[in-house]
Amino acid sequence: MGEKFEPNIIGFLCNWCSYAGADLAGTSRIQYPPNLKVIRVMCSGRVNPIFVINALQQGADGVLIGGCHPGDCHYERGNYLARRRMAVLKKLLEYTGIDPNRVRMTWVSAAEGVKFAEVVKEVTEDIRKLGPMQHFKRENKW
Amino acid sequence: MDSLLLSKNDLPKFMTELIKKNKVFAPVESNGTIIYEQITKPSEMNLDFCKSEYPPKALILNQTETLFKFTPGTKAKIESVDIDEKKIIFGIRPCDAKSIAILEHAFKGDYKDPYFLKKRENTVLVGLSCTKPEINCFCTSFDDTPASSKYLDILLTDIGDNYYVEVTNDKGKLLTKSMSQLFKPAKDSDIKKKKEVEKKAVDIISRHQKTNGIADKLDKIFEHPFWKDIAFKCVGCGTCTYLCPTCHCFDIQDESTLTKGARVRVWDTCMNPEYTLHASGYNPRPARTNRVRNRIYHKYNYYPKNFDVIACVGCGRCIDLCPVNIDIIDVVTRAGEVKP
Amino acid sequence: MVDNNQLREAVKKTISRDDVKYVVGYEKGTYGFQTTPCFAYKPEDADKFIFSPLCVHNLSVFPMLEEKPPLRKGEEPDKRKIGVVVKGCDSRAIVQILQEKGLDRDKVVIIGIPCTGVVDPKKLEKMFPGHIKNVEVKDDDDKFAVTVDGKTQKIQKSELIPDKCKTCEYPTPILYDILIGKEIKSNKNEDYKKVNEFEKKSLKDKWEYWEKQFDKCIRCYACRNACPLCYCKECMVDQLNPQWVRRSVNISENTAWNLLRAFHLAGRCIGCGQCERSCPMDIPLMELNKKIEKEIREMFEYEAGVNAEEKPLLAMFKPDDPEEFIL
Repeated sequence: MGEKFEPNIIGFLCNWCSYAGADLAGTSRIQYPPNLKVIRVMCSGRVNPIFVINALQQGADGVLIGGCHPGDCHYERGNYLARRRMAVLKKLLEYTGIDPNRVRMTWVSAAEGVKFAEVVKEVTEDIRKLGPMQHFKRENKW
Repeated sequence: MDSLLLSKNDLPKFMTELIKKNKVFAPVESNGTIIYEQITKPSEMNLDFCKSEYPPKALILNQTETLFKFTPGTKAKIESVDIDEKKIIFGIRPCDAKSIAILEHAFKGDYKDPYFLKKRENTVLVGLSCTKPEINCFCTSFDDTPASSKYLDILLTDIGDNYYVEVTNDKGKLLTKSMSQLFKPAKDSDIKKKKEVEKKAVDIISRHQKTNGIADKLDKIFEHPFWKDIAFKCVGCGTCTYLCPTCHCFDIQDESTLTKGARVRVWDTCMNPEYTLHASGYNPRPARTNRVRNRIYHKYNYYPKNFDVIACVGCGRCIDLCPVNIDIIDVVTRAGEVKP
Repeated sequence: MVDNNQLREAVKKTISRDDVKYVVGYEKGTYGFQTTPCFAYKPEDADKFIFSPLCVHNLSVFPMLEEKPPLRKGEEPDKRKIGVVVKGCDSRAIVQILQEKGLDRDKVVIIGIPCTGVVDPKKLEKMFPGHIKNVEVKDDDDKFAVTVDGKTQKIQKSELIPDKCKTCEYPTPILYDILIGKEIKSNKNEDYKKVNEFEKKSLKDKWEYWEKQFDKCIRCYACRNACPLCYCKECMVDQLNPQWVRRSVNISENTAWNLLRAFHLAGRCIGCGQCERSCPMDIPLMELNKKIEKEIREMFEYEAGVNAEEKPLLAMFKPDDPEEFIL
């Protein structure tokens, strides 16, 4: 592979904070890596671990979940619940030999366009270092 | 039928020759269990076993099988898959070989399944007589023995220093002829030795199923509360059906990405409620009672009625591995005794 | 040692009640060392009930397996209770189900048995292969008395018990209506030795190990069906739209299934080991379950299946939950 590896990252961003934060980063013309493909969810609490596993199966090299800061959740507790879930999922992934850094979580508010760009940069670089996800990617070889 | 002798010392030579020209699948020990895998040298084989947990039917009726490939979109294209691959299954037990003959009935009926039949045709079954049947083996209940060559192309029986080799058909002859220098003709004493080995194995088998007239009997007890008794302890997993060498149900699904896809068929199990679930939401076999009963009926009633053979070979896998001890020997024997 | 007569009396008494539909217990199996779940509908049925170290099944799965066929017009649903014979670990499953409101407390009659450890059937079969009749295993202090063809042999328990019993903290059922025999206190402690050992390996080694294990999976879902806590009406792998996990059996789908199964039991798995016992391909599923159990104990100070009044782990939170991984 002569070309530089460009990671494919799926971002599940909550409608009320992180997605608005990403929007702000855009309207403020802040540059951030184009590796993140955003899927808007209503709340980070909506992110079922099955989404994460499925994304990794379908060719994502990493997953980023964005929610509101603790206490700011539009639905009061969604982000807290997501935090617990992802804590367990990351431990499970690590135990089976999949780098837990492929699944990241962040709190970004609607006013934090700069932070959002920073986070995406950091995640992209981290996953670039990890290389392509090969453990249980669907091969689609029929 | 030819009766030959193959010295045990010559077995590696024989295998090496086979591997040179063919894809050879043989029993291999992996993680403490025996599975049939493609081998590249004879030393990988392990012939000291009774049966593999995962049935070798999977080499002909693959658990996941691609039927054809396609590219979706306006310029849709369909591409067939290559199923012409020839292979030899070495070390298959007579019971598992019989199961493949039983499966054939289902796949060559009104609709001739090209995938199964082609693979069956392209496969040579080189069997190995079973000398140490396990606790739940009951192949003798179906007029078979652990050393029956009926459903095999070649059967090897361990008779001490040599293997007694029975070549039953042209497929087998083709293999032995190409290496005729390795084989000697068998003497009467060798045949006697094989009979002894066979008898010894038959004597080890201690569990028997009463199958006399079971198909007719089952006709009379379909609604009997007996089935509820049996099925209530079933947890509804698919272990019995997936490991059964004669179960052959499958599910067909399309799998695709944005640019390509394939139609695949995957084993399915009638123990699963989704198996019979209609699109309307109606399920003709809603309870475990219906499903467990169906498994028994399929093997001991529907199959004998359609093809004149009981769809059970007595390998005992379903008994060995059932998590709740649903025991097909016991179930069928008791079904024979139930008063209609 | 549990007195079988006392157990049968208790079952008889329970099944004689008007508000009990049936009682689930154990009886002798059809061959070898097997025991099998059995059902008592009338008092006479109780005579076949037994309890011995061979009773490895977790019977609390049966109330969850009950099919509820649609009622005919005017038909009343059967509201009677189900009696279940449980060991210490099995009772935790019931507690956990009650906590999740999967079952009403007044729908079950729990007959508790203090258990000093069961036998791992695979280990026993290895030691005494091929015996069909006349076998028995009895509890004898720190040994098992294994009788085969009239000859009794005493074997150290540590050689025969499964890992879950080696570190069992709840030998006496947590919740019961009738207790057979006396309560036992455990002096064992869950130390997660295996998990701690495995954690030290590199990511590469870990994946190498699990890849081999998941590759064996034949997706019979015995792990799911034998588990008392896997009682979803529709399991996510059976779902067709969206189809999260494809039916194909390959390493990708097998990994997805095994990871998600383990995750769906996070904070719910009570460690009865049925998944691993039922697995026909011998995948060490309990290692995954134990890892999660350990992590939630450390991160959230939570243990599944001990308190029916508590909220389920993933349905609650504390503001100061660990979040060092969050950017």
